[in-house]
Amino acid sequence: MHETSIVNSIMKTLELEFEKEKLDKMKSIHLKVGILSNIEPRLLHNAYSAYHMMHPEYSAVTLNIESTELKIQCEVCNHITQIKNYRFLCENCGRPSKNIIQGEELLIHKVEFED
Amino acid sequence: MIEKSPKTARGSVQCENTNIHLLKANDFVADIIRKEIAKTKTLLINVTSSPGSGKTTLMQKTAEKLKDKINMAVMVGDLETERDAERIRETGIHALQIVTGGICHLEAQMVHQVLDKFDLENLDLLFIENVGNLVCPASFDLGEDYRVTLLATTEGDDKPKKYPKMFLTTDLMLVSKSDLLPYLPFTLEAVTKDAREVNHELEVIQISSLTDEGIDEWCDWLVEKINDKKGF
Repeated sequence: MHETSIVNSIMKTLELEFEKEKLDKMKSIHLKVGILSNIEPRLLHNAYSAYHMMHPEYSAVTLNIESTELKIQCEVCNHITQIKNYRFLCENCGRPSKNIIQGEELLIHKVEFED
Repeated sequence: MIEKSPKTARGSVQCENTNIHLLKANDFVADIIRKEIAKTKTLLINVTSSPGSGKTTLMQKTAEKLKDKINMAVMVGDLETERDAERIRETGIHALQIVTGGICHLEAQMVHQVLDKFDLENLDLLFIENVGNLVCPASFDLGEDYRVTLLATTEGDDKPKKYPKMFLTTDLMLVSKSDLLPYLPFTLEAVTKDAREVNHELEVIQISSLTDEGIDEWCDWLVEKINDKKGF
């Protein structure tokens, strides 16, 4: 359910962003999906396949999903910590922090077109 | 939030680095909502939880306690039925049901569509009772001032880390159904520790809509935020 609406919003976003002639030449879509975005890549791929049934014009366009790990940067000591088990603590100074620098993103990172 | 780099041709493939936020459309509408409620100084609270943790009962209880002191209303999202809005209306406040027709969360567009059904000029407090779900609603900004998440004692004190995004983005956790504590292997200490490892700024209030435990503290929290917004 959630993944279907995400796929719809990806395609709508691209249709707003690029001209029709350009979209006809679209070859691949690259997403960056943070671990906190509640998106499961495999389910997103399934939803994307289902989308092609209604929109065969995009069936040759491949979808690549890169998952990103969760990282915080401590506001006090600037140390960057990769978060494990959702314990939002700086591994250097032990202070709690919500300053997430990676892992929340839900981005269309790159789009490739046939030249 | 569009950051585009110049087009770069690589072999036979033309490539655009985009970095377009996928929920851009939602966040755009959420900002419109935020601006509208800033004009009328209406406090907007997004209430989330899993199904059956007592959101609607808390809305009824809050209406009973506060409706004579402040002007309040509720918009409530559900996949189907008008049941919750009907229950809330029985307390004498305005309530509108948003039937999502199967969608597991509310989006800013849905909230914006019904916003003009409320007399915001004369409203101090507007609740959005979200669809019962601790996953998807976490990702959708509805333009709210605060997010409040209920966690019932019957759900278990190990839940916050299972739904980290929700507890990371929420401002206040209401531990509901505290009247059942004597019968359950659940402690406020354990649930608070788990939630604060995700979100160290999280406020916690233990409540029971049945025995009234914590309800005054919750109402005081609301009144304080309403006054802050009005600049009192």
